[in-house]
Amino acid sequence: MLKTVHPLPKLIVALVWLAGSIAVFDASFQIVMILTCVTVLILLERLSPVLVLALMVPFALFGAGFITTSVLFRQESEFAVQMAQETPFGDGRLQAGIVLFLRAIACGMVSAVFVLTTDPGSFVKALMVNWRLSPRVGYALFAALQLVPDLASELQQMRLARAMRRGAPPRRIPGPIEVGSLVVPLIAYAIRRAGDTALAMESRGLGASSQRTVIGAPVSSKRDAIFCLAASAWLLSIYWLTSQAPL
Amino acid sequence: MADEPAAVLIDGVSVTYAASDKTAVGPVDLVIRPGERWLLLGASGSGKSSLLNALTGLIPHAIAAKRSGEVRLLGEDVAARTPAEWSSTVARLFQKAEQTLCGMTVADEIAFALENQALPVAEIATRTETVMGSLGLPPEWRDRRTSRLSGGERQLVAIAAIMAQDAPILVADEPTAHLAPEAARRLERRLRDVPPDGAALVVDHRLDDLIPLIDRVAVLGDDGRIVVTGCPRKVFRDHGQTLDRLGIWRPIGSRLADRLMALGHEADPQPLTLAEALQAMDRLPLTLLDRARATLVDFIAPRIAQAGAIGATVAQLQNASCAPLFAKPVLQKVTLSIAAGEVVAILGANGAGKSTLAASLAGLLRLKAGRRDGAMGGISFQNPDSKFIAGSVGEELAAALEAAGAKAEAADVAALAERWRLVTLLERHPMQLSEGQKRRLSLALLMAGDRFPLIVLDEPTGGLDAAGTEALMDEVDRLRDGERAVAIVTHDMDFALATAPRWIIVGEGRILADGPASELMRDGALMKRAGLAPPHLLQALDWLEKEPVPAC
Repeated sequence: MLKTVHPLPKLIVALVWLAGSIAVFDASFQIVMILTCVTVLILLERLSPVLVLALMVPFALFGAGFITTSVLFRQESEFAVQMAQETPFGDGRLQAGIVLFLRAIACGMVSAVFVLTTDPGSFVKALMVNWRLSPRVGYALFAALQLVPDLASELQQMRLARAMRRGAPPRRIPGPIEVGSLVVPLIAYAIRRAGDTALAMESRGLGASSQRTVIGAPVSSKRDAIFCLAASAWLLSIYWLTSQAPL
Repeated sequence: MADEPAAVLIDGVSVTYAASDKTAVGPVDLVIRPGERWLLLGASGSGKSSLLNALTGLIPHAIAAKRSGEVRLLGEDVAARTPAEWSSTVARLFQKAEQTLCGMTVADEIAFALENQALPVAEIATRTETVMGSLGLPPEWRDRRTSRLSGGERQLVAIAAIMAQDAPILVADEPTAHLAPEAARRLERRLRDVPPDGAALVVDHRLDDLIPLIDRVAVLGDDGRIVVTGCPRKVFRDHGQTLDRLGIWRPIGSRLADRLMALGHEADPQPLTLAEALQAMDRLPLTLLDRARATLVDFIAPRIAQAGAIGATVAQLQNASCAPLFAKPVLQKVTLSIAAGEVVAILGANGAGKSTLAASLAGLLRLKAGRRDGAMGGISFQNPDSKFIAGSVGEELAAALEAAGAKAEAADVAALAERWRLVTLLERHPMQLSEGQKRRLSLALLMAGDRFPLIVLDEPTGGLDAAGTEALMDEVDRLRDGERAVAIVTHDMDFALATAPRWIIVGEGRILADGPASELMRDGALMKRAGLAPPHLLQALDWLEKEPVPAC
């Protein structure tokens, strides 16, 4: 459903939500933000709950670093400890760490909603048409966005090749040693792929002329305004509700 | 007319890469006149792709290499514009579809060059529709990302993007390498429609269907210099032995004509296609006809694989649903088996699911349903790059021998390199090799130490020159005689006929047919349904079966 929303209003809403997550140092606010994103992905975008949970794993691992840093190394800011003093998560250091942990997940999930509901091609076209982004920069951004699924596909091909050398089918989830051994070949692939894409774009005329037609760029509609209003209203509601009864 | 500038003028051009002190190609002199279609032939690694990159200015503008000499396109110095600015004049199809495509959706890929030319939206839409229709691309592909397509489908989209560009000069590097026969024939129109002020320069290793359209042939030698240029009939007649020595392809009709010449009959004009050679045989006097028939039988014999003794089953699929990794099944209810000493060709249109079936048969892809029994197979992937992990060809070969539990002394590595014509490349990094050389290395790695009871070859002839293809055919024979099972995914129907007595034809999400090649290739309805064309050699078999009508 969010896929039909114009990418630029959606980007602005995502940035506002990210700013909200950074500005409001409250665990309940972050939790409701996470729940909102999860609900959108599962109910509106029909993603599997398992996939959505899996998406949260890297953000959770990143966020867990804040907890350990706060508790063990006391690297939290005075402001964070002060803000977290009133919460029920034990002492201030743990409380600050938990809010930072939740914030990492919330920011990650807001980004995930944007990325999973936005076609990279439409996004780049919208930037070029509406915000006058240079086509060279726009298509470089596009190529970078597209590299992620291409890397995943290449990763699978490499895993099949290595599985064959081992004489057994690849494991469903690669182990840490396997992942480690694939990093350098994947970086090499990414460099080659970027080079190939640059050559392809050059030889097909990108940047040859200052004038350029853009076909299929997204068009704004009333639906986008409704989305912006609804998303902003919900963000304010979360803030108001959670500030009334903080955890 | 004499003052008309050449469409492409290559004057003393040579290319040297930044990381090398050796000339990759050249010096080369070529003059391509307006309206001409040229075929550039050469063994793998002779510098064909480098020459094409110099021709469009990518060398030295975008690729770190030095170019000397002069290139002029339609009379203008190539250095006067950037490669991007030449895109309205030159349409360039790269050897790998990934090098032509930018990773967009199919419709966006086709429209990309037209958008860059700032054409009106309506014209872009019309050209996109027209090209998709003429190449038979289904409308539902429009919004599909090209990276989600099969290798052959991507190649089709790349060709569509180049056709839509409608530039007067076409430069195509192995355009038919991954195309099913039916799809390859659609290229014919683009080659036929070279504008009077334009030109086409095609690099390919096998071009039997399109050779009648070619006006001139240039042959690059191993040293990267032109060995011969001329009209195809003359080049293939007068320099056949040179081409054979260099391991370079020549049309099957030309090879048969050589045999006829040995009988004392020289066809005029020199045949290029098998059909022309057979027509020449029709005109033979009765005194020569019997010897000619015997010659044709001799000519055909090594080009048709014969079923040999078959051993125990090596691998089998039962009621299998085969799917690429993390994707839905593309083939359902697949039941087949392959036995020791058996060679099977897996054939079908682009995107039919051949590679998925091959990887499932090898046991590398988990089935979505059904069952697979048998030992794990080894597979040679369509894209060989992902197989390379070492820093040099020699290290790759040594690692493959070790993995197979074989001796990996210097002499063993050298012997393996000799078998695959890699001796001079042992110190090179695998990614510095040409596509044909990479293919040979990939095949050498797979077959090192003979560790796999089942070998699956996915488009093994892509990028290979004639010598490489012949070496591969010998290797398949060796594997068969060594009681290995071999499955070959290919679009080259003549290669399939020469190597595999059993064919499996895939289409419509299932196996359409599984049986002897001799029967299936004669089933015209099946071939059409599967998007295939019968092997060229079928014409010769049909000729042998018809009643001889002596010439007056």
